[in-house]
Amino acid sequence: MSRRRVNDILRRALFNILIFVIAVYALFPFYWAFSTSFKTENEMFHRATYLPQEPTLKNYKYVLGGDTFLVALRNSAFVAGTTSVLSLIVGSFAAYALGRLRFRGRTALLYIVLSMTMFPAISILSGLYSIVRELGVFGTPFALIVTYPVFTLPFTVWVLTSFFKGLPAEIEQAAIVDGATTFQTFRFILLPLTAPALVTTGLLAFVSSWNEYLFALNFTITNPSAQTVPVAIAQFSGIDAFQEPIAEIMAAAMVVTIPLVTLVLIFQRRIVAGLMAGAVKG
Amino acid sequence: MTFTPLIEHNQAAAAENPARGRLAAYFLSSLFIFLGLAAILLLIVSVTSSPVIRAVLEWDAASPDPAPSLILVFLAEFGIILPLLILGAGIGFIWLGFQMRGRHVTAGHWAHIAAMWLTIGSLILAFLNAVQTLNTKSDTPVNAGAILFPLVAAGGFAALYVWLNNNRWWVFRGQEDYLARETRVAWNMLIPTLAVFVIVAARPLEQTFIRSLTDKRFASQEVPRFVGLENYRSLLGIRLDSVSCRWNEETGACVTRNDGSIRWESIDQGLLEEGYRTVWTIPLPFEARAHALAISSLDDDFLQGIGTTLVFAAISVTLELLIALFMAVTVNSEFAGRGLMRAVMLIPWAIPTVISARLWELMLKDTNAGIINRVLMDLQVIDLPKAWLSDVTLQLPAAIMVDVWKTAPFMALLLLAGLQTIPKDLYEAAAVDGATRVNQFFKITLPLLRPTIGVALVFRTLDALRVFDLFNVLFGRQQLTMATYDYETLVNNQRDGYASAVSMIIFLLIAVFAMIYVRLLNVETE
Repeated sequence: MSRRRVNDILRRALFNILIFVIAVYALFPFYWAFSTSFKTENEMFHRATYLPQEPTLKNYKYVLGGDTFLVALRNSAFVAGTTSVLSLIVGSFAAYALGRLRFRGRTALLYIVLSMTMFPAISILSGLYSIVRELGVFGTPFALIVTYPVFTLPFTVWVLTSFFKGLPAEIEQAAIVDGATTFQTFRFILLPLTAPALVTTGLLAFVSSWNEYLFALNFTITNPSAQTVPVAIAQFSGIDAFQEPIAEIMAAAMVVTIPLVTLVLIFQRRIVAGLMAGAVKG
Repeated sequence: MTFTPLIEHNQAAAAENPARGRLAAYFLSSLFIFLGLAAILLLIVSVTSSPVIRAVLEWDAASPDPAPSLILVFLAEFGIILPLLILGAGIGFIWLGFQMRGRHVTAGHWAHIAAMWLTIGSLILAFLNAVQTLNTKSDTPVNAGAILFPLVAAGGFAALYVWLNNNRWWVFRGQEDYLARETRVAWNMLIPTLAVFVIVAARPLEQTFIRSLTDKRFASQEVPRFVGLENYRSLLGIRLDSVSCRWNEETGACVTRNDGSIRWESIDQGLLEEGYRTVWTIPLPFEARAHALAISSLDDDFLQGIGTTLVFAAISVTLELLIALFMAVTVNSEFAGRGLMRAVMLIPWAIPTVISARLWELMLKDTNAGIINRVLMDLQVIDLPKAWLSDVTLQLPAAIMVDVWKTAPFMALLLLAGLQTIPKDLYEAAAVDGATRVNQFFKITLPLLRPTIGVALVFRTLDALRVFDLFNVLFGRQQLTMATYDYETLVNNQRDGYASAVSMIIFLLIAVFAMIYVRLLNVETE
């Protein structure tokens, strides 16, 4: 065997080992949550076992038994869906202006948008609380839809701005020569070309809204029917009154995560491919 | 698709109607001047008729309590941003009104945009008032005016918008130059983002700033006192001193601890009495007799928290970038493991943080019930279970491990989107020219991915500097970051005013850092 071939095999092996290590690092906690969700409280706190010794479905029964969790699922889907669609619309407008148009104050505006991510959520919590009250949406899912853009909008704008900037200038010039207005150029020509970035930022916005806890807890505390999944899970009291309901929490995590990941996997493959094909055809 | 040639249409209409529309222009001009004056007048009336402001103005001099500060009352009631915005909008409208007398088409376009946003704003106001009415208990009287008035206003503005849409071509003359048009379109498209910025970031932060000037207690009815910059004084009370080592006369050397580290003298007694505590002691190498730089602060927990946060952010973001790059390149290639990698990329991140922090807490338990200890013992890496969450030297590594696990996928997804826009034919051409995979990565992928990497790094770093949930769940008060220190000051120590000052300092620190960082990464903002 030639030396080059040996090198090649070695390199390939190294690459595979790296993938294996990363996969274990990423997936083992998920496996652990999965396995814990079938365990009894007793087994969980006694000694770590790789497989549940006496598998039980009682944790799932607890989670899916009442309405609370299903209502929370619906609320989460509504809040995260609306927030990400709104962020995409508002963000893509801003990103087009910041990425493609020349005007004074551009740099300052980019920093203003970025400044929304420069303080911890805790420091605006009480300020947001009074604004949510003022707007009259306290205790409703709208309180979250109004406040979540504080973390979804900045990265939507910045990521889309960098993508808009990356598109060649000729596309736009051709459209302007054809007599398109600036808005038409944006809507029909540039926007379809950034489809991969739109899907990705939409996904990121969706998941970060889906996972948010602090605002959801404080703005929907008075109204159980407006609570989202993280809040509902945090308020599990468990089957055994005196133990932390970890196994129930893990069962809930499975119920939440598996459909989400499945959806995202399908979404990524099908829709990204579809959008990109569409953009190329024009 | 066919587009209407806007400029030609405009010119034709203007040529047809040279003198028409003077009356219409005057009417529009007066309307906007009126709107501007009305906005300013509304502001003045609502300030002067506000009950809290009146209460201060008419404060009974004979009353035993001192009068509250008028400035503080005004700030708490109205803030700075909202009055400035209304004033700005009012002046803008008056200015636009006067511009319209010149009948230049740019003014007409701006009026068109203003009418559109006034319509949308009124509709949103009506909607919010409707939601509010539906939410309040049925026994309170329904305030129909709060819904009807914005609706009527919206109708009026919508009519103005439609009229301007069809008729501004003959009312106004001339041509808008290209730059003016781009400026106008840009501001038009930025208005929603700016509105969001004002509502969810600027105004809440402004309230935090106002509170930081007071000694407000959290969840207390006490009237806060104005204390000026007092809160900031102790937060920023940081000093550097030179301290020598504790000298052993007999051996003629520095006294050392059991682990071999040098014992340093403490800072002056007077400073200790003032409240300074040393956080770090850094040995200075160039002195004959050992000296060290003592960094002390009036609020040592905060300074310590800043240090912890910086170390945490630097290490975790670096690791994340490397792992995310690897993940993204793998998923983007024609490699067999890409399906697995795609799932790997999503799962950790799709589990809500509240749950994943609890999950890791369970896994990192220091007893036999902790699976990390079990695995490491089964693999013969360690003999005895380790206390991942309570051993101070293991806390930060544990937190970094969890954070990298959780957020590398976020970065990987962003990088993947960037990779997808790199044309495939570049790689084909490079392969034809004999470039190896590694060469292609460094010569094509990295340079073309640089803008995306820059943006991803900026956001991840700012996120890491604000880390909260993770440290709060895993360590409570044992290991503080900037944000958890803020939280502890607010919730456990009930010092709302001081916590607000902490928030402002964090904001300033991150803002300065972000400015430098964005320049260093050369993320294009120009």
